Amino acid sequence: MKNKILAVILLVTMGVAKVPLEDRVAATLKAADLRDAPVALSLRETVSQMAFAAALGGLRSLVASITYLRAYVAFEDRDWGRVDSLMTLTTRMQPREAMYWDEAAWHMAYNAATSTQQREDLRAAIRNKDFRDYVLRGLKIVQEGLVYNPNNPKLLVREAEIYRDRLKDPRPAAEAFLLAAKSGAKPFYERMGAYELVKLGEPPDLQQAYEILKRHYDKGFRYPSVLRDLDILERKLNIPAAQRVGQPLPPSPQPRRK
Amino acid sequence: MSSASPRSAYSSFSPGRIWTMATHTVTQLIRMRILVFMGIISIVIVIAAFAFPAVSPEQQLKLLKDWTFGALQVFFVIIAIAATGLLIPRDLEDRTLYTTLSKPVPRYEYLIGKLLGVMLLLGGGLLLMDLVFSLMLYVKQSLIISSQIAALEKEQAATPENIAFIKDLNSRFGLTYSLHGAVWAIFLKASVVAAVSLLISCFASSTLFTILVGMAFVIAGQGQALLREWFLDKMSGFWQKALSGAIAIFCPDLTLFDLAEPAIRGEVIPLGVLTEVSGIALLYIVGYTSVAYLFFVEKEL
Repeated sequence: MKNKILAVILLVTMGVAKVPLEDRVAATLKAADLRDAPVALSLRETVSQMAFAAALGGLRSLVASITYLRAYVAFEDRDWGRVDSLMTLTTRMQPREAMYWDEAAWHMAYNAATSTQQREDLRAAIRNKDFRDYVLRGLKIVQEGLVYNPNNPKLLVREAEIYRDRLKDPRPAAEAFLLAAKSGAKPFYERMGAYELVKLGEPPDLQQAYEILKRHYDKGFRYPSVLRDLDILERKLNIPAAQRVGQPLPPSPQPRRK
Repeated sequence: MSSASPRSAYSSFSPGRIWTMATHTVTQLIRMRILVFMGIISIVIVIAAFAFPAVSPEQQLKLLKDWTFGALQVFFVIIAIAATGLLIPRDLEDRTLYTTLSKPVPRYEYLIGKLLGVMLLLGGGLLLMDLVFSLMLYVKQSLIISSQIAALEKEQAATPENIAFIKDLNSRFGLTYSLHGAVWAIFLKASVVAAVSLLISCFASSTLFTILVGMAFVIAGQGQALLREWFLDKMSGFWQKALSGAIAIFCPDLTLFDLAEPAIRGEVIPLGVLTEVSGIALLYIVGYTSVAYLFFVEKEL
């Protein structure tokens, strides 16, 4: 009996002593950015009991990949509501996995939006409204992803593309492209940002676009798009003729009549 | 005659005896067809490596890692609980416990030997699984890189810049040293769970009880942060607070060993972090085994 009492005392003593040590290790993990926040209790409303138990069991990554695969099946079935809810679950399980946010936004802003536009059973006004709603949903997803993954180049590029391709809004598109390039995306995206600045037409934007494109030109990136926009910028900014390098694109050939 | 008497030759602590006990335990566990579990994990790894061709290359690598680490965590925690829970009842049933303890083997050596045996099996198994997983991941990564480079060449875009980008991206999502660190963390978690199960089996009346209580400890240990938040912040009253306190005191915080997620994400696990995590695991193992001994020493056999 004496040993059993001693065992309980030892267990309690160890338990009390271990709490501050556990807190210390947890703090180290947090400082090294290796510890995710526990699954929010509110998530329990949307996740099944089994998934919640598994998520508690350190298997969030596995549960997220299962919901992701289910979302992929829903995508193949073009069930956009289901894609959205399953991708929301996936991103909630692993908020720091930028790939999931990126793909969720792409599904909404591109796949779902385009699919709606192709529906002939809807009136044009409804189609347009649905299209815009899906695009805005995609934008919201990517912006939420950026809250958890600040300045993530992948997400910034996705945000910029949604502004450029779907919302035709060059200002935020340019800002997002340039920030993405600064944050580690390929240099190519800096040129994308410059192309958007050219569309804006304001002198400070044109000047910034010129500096970027000229820099790329000097590095050897002399693509037709670079030469075309440099030509526009040099004319608008009154660059002396001797310093001009831009070339207008040749007119596209007219289709031959039979 | 200068030979020492049998009593003076006897040492109260013998690493040799513990090692014999441990290797015997490993043999005993292998006879219980534990290797079947590992075979199942290997199949999961191979399936995960080639079952998701429709998704993006990064996702293919991520899914392979997700499924492998998920399988490793689940299987090795189950092995830790079941194998440890079965050991003492099986020795009692086979009567090997009596023949062992009737020899000059202290009970603590018996317990340490048993736990070490389980840990050897867990470590060996995880090492084997890590090798299989690393090989599959490397093969998958190489296949993806070559197919992407081939696609670039087809599009006449195989510039050194693009090829370097693809290699860099895939190596970040592919095989990294941090993944081995995550496997080590799974070993530590499984070892702590084994120590807890050993403690439970020292006062448990049946194997089923050990397994069920062991599972309850794992769930409570995994949900420690959440449970503490729930009970301490959102509940009031003496009993609620006492319950949260009891959970914090009796359960190990198993979330400290959850390094698989950041490793899968491509983050680097520093050596210092692994050292700290290993330290706390050692504390748990020594602590729970000491308590187990105090229960076991009074156990009527």
